[in-house]
Amino acid sequence: MSSLERSFYSKTSMYAFFVVLILSISVWFSTGQFKHMDMALLGYLLSSMIFAIGLTIRMCAWLLRPATHKVIHRSFKNLRTRERKNRNLKSVFITAMENIFLQKFIFKRGLYRGIQHWLISWGCIGSFAITFGLTFGWMRFDLIDPETYQIVVFNVPTMIMPAHGLLAEIIYNGLNITASLVLIGVCMAIYRRIKDNDVKVTQRFEFDILPLYILLAVTVTGLFLTVSYVLLEGFMHHYLTLIHQVTVVILLIYFPFGKLFHLPIRPLTTAVPMNYQEKVQIDTRPCHSCGAMYSNDDQISDVKGILEIQAFDLQLEDGTFLADYCPACRRRIRVMKQLNLGGPQGNPFQPIETRNGIQMSGFGKKRSEDFYEGSNESEQTTVHGGDQ
Amino acid sequence: MNKIMYLEFERCIGCRSCQAACRECGDHDAKERNYVEYVDFMESRQTYPMLCMQCKDPACARVCPANAIQITEEGVVLSAMEEKCIGCRNCTFGCPFGIPKFDFEENKMYKCDMCYDRSKHDIAPMCASVCPSDAIRFIDYDEMMQLRRKRTQMNLIEGKKPQEGNKWEYVPEFFGVYSD
Repeated sequence: MSSLERSFYSKTSMYAFFVVLILSISVWFSTGQFKHMDMALLGYLLSSMIFAIGLTIRMCAWLLRPATHKVIHRSFKNLRTRERKNRNLKSVFITAMENIFLQKFIFKRGLYRGIQHWLISWGCIGSFAITFGLTFGWMRFDLIDPETYQIVVFNVPTMIMPAHGLLAEIIYNGLNITASLVLIGVCMAIYRRIKDNDVKVTQRFEFDILPLYILLAVTVTGLFLTVSYVLLEGFMHHYLTLIHQVTVVILLIYFPFGKLFHLPIRPLTTAVPMNYQEKVQIDTRPCHSCGAMYSNDDQISDVKGILEIQAFDLQLEDGTFLADYCPACRRRIRVMKQLNLGGPQGNPFQPIETRNGIQMSGFGKKRSEDFYEGSNESEQTTVHGGDQ
Repeated sequence: MNKIMYLEFERCIGCRSCQAACRECGDHDAKERNYVEYVDFMESRQTYPMLCMQCKDPACARVCPANAIQITEEGVVLSAMEEKCIGCRNCTFGCPFGIPKFDFEENKMYKCDMCYDRSKHDIAPMCASVCPSDAIRFIDYDEMMQLRRKRTQMNLIEGKKPQEGNKWEYVPEFFGVYSD
């Protein structure tokens, strides 16, 4: 592996090369040695390859971060552990359903936001599935006779359907349906970004608003193609396809380096129930100081490891780390240090001595034993005597 | 942004107006992001306000596996980006000062952002603008240096800083004078 890596500029370029190689082989295979290549989609094919390279580069940069690497490393270790099989399966299933498919947590942030995000995400995922399926030739339609189509998946003939049946119509209009979902969602999102003053506090044009406009451009030009050939008898159809192609290329190149990159990294959410918190809000590790439950052992050891790799020295004098304390205790430690209340120094039971020699009691503190001088010795003995 | 947040824990009177103000700030979603707590309830009723330090190299951002915590040009460490945050709470445990809060319902972390929409225009954050005892102040760098110098001078006059076990030795002469 290392000798192979040396023939590349970097690990990332090696991965990018193999991603492109595998994609090219899949295209070669599923189009029957390029025999069934759809030349109209050649531009999309090339930009999809560039998209794949960009995504690989971005993923590598993300995975190289010590924090991400640590969490991924633990996730794979847990996935291989047989004793954790049940927990792994359960957390993958629950995350896939609640977090990725239903996106419950966004609905809890607001119904409007939930609907908007669900429409955009599933519209985009659906569109990507259809377009990548068609551009890479993974899926195509062969005409058997003038009335019948056959769906060919990875060069394997599958189901046969009448050319004007209900199923065929749904499949032909798949992109129109997903694009409509995206269009509604994007319009809702743009309206929110313009109207809502709260989101304006931290939003940035190139990060939060540009992707919405790019998605809008792609869906509008794409849907107008349908309008052109259904209602306007192919008015400007050729130029419209070119315009649509340009918008799609911009989207594909923007995708790995902008806001939309949160889509491929979302499955990392599985790591939370799988590695750290099996049940939400149930902690198992007690705080070193107050004993309140605040986390679990695996997570704290991960956090310590990540901080150590990055040369954060958060170890205290007694050998404990700040991560061993619950957040409330950490706040208190900071204040105590700042106010010089760190720990008792000298005799805490010493009576208060101001400089004028006047003795004051210690506000609820006991007087030290030697304050009572001779009398305490006899008291001590009597107490002991009483016990015996 | 040339102004600085200056905290003096001793001045805190525990009125929690900073928390009420924080809840009112834009984008804070009616949840406070700062803390007012007792230093040591069994010893005294001294409270302290606690905000984010806005570290130059924040540990919370370093331990985030999703790379969700971003720093603005002005150096303000923002809450985790909602679309990236995976809700692992690493930031809560990585932060040396115990600042980030976590919302289990909405699955996101939120922390003090110094009321970014205000402080980026040099307007005092909500908490500093309401604090009645000046425990939280939003002041110029020069003013902060002056205050710091004054504190050091006080310590120099006393010779050294008072500690928990001997702080009563530093009580000024006139404090405990009784005469008949």
